[in-house]
Amino acid sequence: MNLRNRYLTAATAGALLTLPVATVATPAAFAAPAPACAADALVKETLPNGTTWEMCWRIHKLNGLVLEKVFVSSTRYPQPVQVLNSIAVAQLNVPYDNGETEYNDITDYGFGGELIQTLGGDDCKGGSARVGFDNAPEPKRRALLCVSAEPSGLGYRLENPETNKPPISKQGHDLVLRSISKVGWYEYITEYRFADNGRISARLGATGDLSPGDYTTSDKGWPIGKGSTSYSSNHYHSAFWRVDFNLGGAGMEKVEQYDTKQSGSGNTSAVFKTTKTDVTKEGSFTKVNRRWWRLVSPTSKNKDNHPLSYQLETGANDAYEAHPETTPDVTFTQQKACEQFATGNADPQCGNRKTILDYARDSETMTDPLMWVRVGFHHVPRDEDQSPMLVHWQGFDLTPRDFTEMNRLTPPERGGVNGQPTNG
Amino acid sequence: MPRDRPERKHVNNRQPSAVNRRRLVWGAAATTAAVSVAFAVAALDASAAPTPPPPTAVAAEPPRVSNPSPGPEPSTGVGDQPLTAAEVDKARPVAVTPELGASAKDVTGAKGPEYLSSEIVEGGTGREAAFYFYDYRTDELVKQVVDVTAGRVTGSFRAKDMQLPAADREVATALDLVLAAPVGADVKALYTKVTGKPWTSKDQLKVEAHVYRARPADTEARECGRHRCLQLVARVTDGPFVDLNDIIIDLSGRTVVRVK
Repeated sequence: MNLRNRYLTAATAGALLTLPVATVATPAAFAAPAPACAADALVKETLPNGTTWEMCWRIHKLNGLVLEKVFVSSTRYPQPVQVLNSIAVAQLNVPYDNGETEYNDITDYGFGGELIQTLGGDDCKGGSARVGFDNAPEPKRRALLCVSAEPSGLGYRLENPETNKPPISKQGHDLVLRSISKVGWYEYITEYRFADNGRISARLGATGDLSPGDYTTSDKGWPIGKGSTSYSSNHYHSAFWRVDFNLGGAGMEKVEQYDTKQSGSGNTSAVFKTTKTDVTKEGSFTKVNRRWWRLVSPTSKNKDNHPLSYQLETGANDAYEAHPETTPDVTFTQQKACEQFATGNADPQCGNRKTILDYARDSETMTDPLMWVRVGFHHVPRDEDQSPMLVHWQGFDLTPRDFTEMNRLTPPERGGVNGQPTNG
Repeated sequence: MPRDRPERKHVNNRQPSAVNRRRLVWGAAATTAAVSVAFAVAALDASAAPTPPPPTAVAAEPPRVSNPSPGPEPSTGVGDQPLTAAEVDKARPVAVTPELGASAKDVTGAKGPEYLSSEIVEGGTGREAAFYFYDYRTDELVKQVVDVTAGRVTGSFRAKDMQLPAADREVATALDLVLAAPVGADVKALYTKVTGKPWTSKDQLKVEAHVYRARPADTEARECGRHRCLQLVARVTDGPFVDLNDIIIDLSGRTVVRVK
């Protein structure tokens, strides 16, 4: 992103986003900054537990749904604080195990333009269908984004210390943004879930229908018709997301990797030690047991004097080792305007940097890191994939770590519980 | 961990309050459906458990979002918002400078570059747009940066061996080339096999396409990548997909080959 926006304080940027409803005045020290987005590009919703997420959305012909300037606030922490500068799907590689077919759905087709679907049917049931331009070569303004609030289950629960009082418990909710793109026979759901507890979940759903042409032998597919004659080819969906944090509005995050290894035995159980490795230079990384990464603000801290950070959490994830780009789990690179797609980057202004491996090759020291997350799903078809195919999902979570000194939903009666109990 | 949640139906077991009712008008159909689901669930519960717990104390607030009016279509976008229809209409002719219009060739062989797509330049100071074209004379992807407000080109870039998704006219041209080539007879026969109907016109197929790049093992279509080539994803209009995967159309060389 441009540095102009990077140096806005959270307070100023938060004021920008709320300007359309004129509830927060711009501090006098900051003279008339450009508006972050127009009213029809703003999503600002307060969930039942009091958490407000606000952001700008737009459609890019290739990325499809792009979210920008994502801020969060809540009853306990009413000041909006920035989390993300932007997040978008940055590639979807779909090779078939029969060796005959391979697609790169983002850079060969794109999730925006004419392929992003106008919402209809049950696509946005119970939600609000938002209208915007589709970024087609000849743009049309259509209902492309579904915004909804959905229950997410029990958020927390604690036995009430007062006898005969109900437990201290809350139902959680997510603010959900989704769009749908049809590429060939597959239909993809780009979905972001913004939880009232501060977590952000990015995921890609795939539905539509299986490839009509890719049938193969029993060692590369699964029989989905009668008997054992037609084997629908197994295939991969390797999705990449490009995540640009702007924690606390200060940017310039540091990347840390944590590993926990057994280092001996204690009196009762094994001893595990957790160590931090600073990731200062561009590179690609892969998960091992208990390994995780976080992006840390170098300047912004919570009230416990801990730096604000968000942690990457990946779950089910099949690496596709036939390509070097789809093998590592995460790649960190220095922010550059030219580097937009994980693979297939095609910009005549930008020379020959086409993949994340090109971007990271010179191991540049990062002052403004971008995070490229890969999540793969090896799809072995099953009878239930016909028809339409039931949605299958792949994705990851971004979880706040010390973004607030208590959790975002801590009720007033638990507000004094912070750290080691004095009688502990 | 990513939660692989099943699709959830929001079961609203409370009647909307008078205050909420007005907000729910836009979603009236959804509310009706949710209420009927709630009745069904209640009936099941009643048969399974004789004393269902009182629902009032623990009922969650129904989660709702605002549903703002989109307002009239803007002629000019704001910030990084996508180009509007009016902005594309205004800036696209600007992007095709007289030099580019005279030197480049489009997919039909006529003068002028083939228009592919446009996008806003992110983080720009105003409404700056990138227009992408393919020049079939030189086999280059062309990027023209246009100051939309001022109506002038501010940057011009071109590169070989670089491909963006196909434009509609390129896909249509590819289908024309296929139907005119020897493999066209096979395509028409496949259509008849799938539908039981005779082939009468190209409107009987609905075609999309993606850029094809030559694979190491290819003996045909070896120029693809440096040339602009397409592979078709075709379906019978209002019918099933048909597999034309082994047909490669070299739009630069105007040839059609089979691979595999």
